[in-house]
Amino acid sequence: MTSEAAQSIEDVVKNIIVGELRVDPSQLAPETHLMKDLGADSLDALNIALRLEEAFKIKIPDEAIPRFLTVGDIVKGVQEHLKTN
Amino acid sequence: MRRVALTGIGVIAPVGVGRDAVWSALIGGQSGIGRIEEFDTTNLKTNIAGLCREFKPECFFDERELSRLDRVSQLAVAASELAVRDAGLSNGLLDSYDAGVVLGTGFGGQASIEEFCGAFFGNERARKSAIAIPKSMYNASSSNIAIRLKTRGPNITITTACSSGANAIGQAFHLIRYGHAERMIAGGADAPVTPVVMDAWKEMRVLSTKNDPPERACKPFSANRDGFVLAEGAGIVVLEEMSAARERGARILAEVMGYGSTADAAHITFPCPEGESQAMLRALKDAQVGSDEIDHVNAHGTATRLNDVSETEAIKRVLGNRAFEIPVNSIKSMIGHSMGAAGAIEFIATVLAITEQVVPPTINYEEKDPQCDLDYVTEGARPMDGRVRIRTAMSNSFGFGGNNAVLVVRKFE
Repeated sequence: MTSEAAQSIEDVVKNIIVGELRVDPSQLAPETHLMKDLGADSLDALNIALRLEEAFKIKIPDEAIPRFLTVGDIVKGVQEHLKTN
Repeated sequence: MRRVALTGIGVIAPVGVGRDAVWSALIGGQSGIGRIEEFDTTNLKTNIAGLCREFKPECFFDERELSRLDRVSQLAVAASELAVRDAGLSNGLLDSYDAGVVLGTGFGGQASIEEFCGAFFGNERARKSAIAIPKSMYNASSSNIAIRLKTRGPNITITTACSSGANAIGQAFHLIRYGHAERMIAGGADAPVTPVVMDAWKEMRVLSTKNDPPERACKPFSANRDGFVLAEGAGIVVLEEMSAARERGARILAEVMGYGSTADAAHITFPCPEGESQAMLRALKDAQVGSDEIDHVNAHGTATRLNDVSETEAIKRVLGNRAFEIPVNSIKSMIGHSMGAAGAIEFIATVLAITEQVVPPTINYEEKDPQCDLDYVTEGARPMDGRVRIRTAMSNSFGFGGNNAVLVVRKFE
């Protein structure tokens, strides 16, 4: 994966988080925790997963969602998913 | 028997937000009916509705909260906040297993389910949501009120079409009267002005098509009426056990006296004066009030031919000669038909007619219908002064399904 492609995945993921959680983009660092830092709950996680599935044309398995804790986790998860498919 | 005091009012209607704004619009004979601009109405025969354009959800909710709440929940929770504020209730008194919510709604989170269905059926502009179910389920609004106010007692949603709001207030009244709760948030909310609902009503041919001008469309009891005007809104009251209300020094607006509820058990949409009059009689019996003591009836008055004739007949059967002596009005002429909210908003107007001693008018009355021969207050708001004062009044609500709910309320003495 080129660094541009990686950057664009990160941008899309961040846009989705910003849109769903109504937070300022400046709040998002790789280690930002969606629940602890941004006040998200399990319903937000489901909506973020749905938007990721639409944006990247992927299927996120149920068991993957609880592992999406930080912004970095999600970016890495999407990158790996795209790599293996 | 425990008595039940009404201590707070929260109302959001097409004519305004809050008790004072809505009341002054109603007695001013103002219409809240306007053109629908929110979606394309090209294929509809009706392009008007009662929309709460002065309701600013952002005054009650932050963006995150708004994303979780269908418009019906936004209306219901905001009206509840207004009612609790009006009652001067601190949260400590609601954060209790003795305080609860009964809410009526006809359509629930209709817009949210339509959005999801749009995406499901391939409309590219519609978006799926992972929370379509908790946004659209019928009990979402009552649950959101409880979450907001921390009421931990009974939390019940009633869906009896156009009588939902009145049934909700009646059931809440009984919960307090018979000792199941001390304080209740009760009323109705609906946000049914959506493309799908408008189209479905169009096919039923019950909506007014008098689009121009919108504010003159709804003509209850007038011979040239041609149907109802769909609307949205929320009406919420705070009910309290009388001695509990007195103990905290609450301002008591009125006393809820009686509630009657019946089913026509006849036809799913065709109204029946027998079921309607029985609901009125049962409300009187429940209130231990005689028919000659009723000083005003706030009618269901939808402006459909079937309702107005049937309701007039029912009122005459129950009140006899008294029916011709008292003011009978329909505020739907001004705010349209907000379905599950209608019975609650109209009950609120009935309470305010008692506290203010003014009956809001039935506007747009133009032609006498021989079958509708009561005093419908068509000349403008009527101040009740001198000998003819309103002490006890009745609010009628009759819904599809043959559901009838009637409330009796009295000046606090």
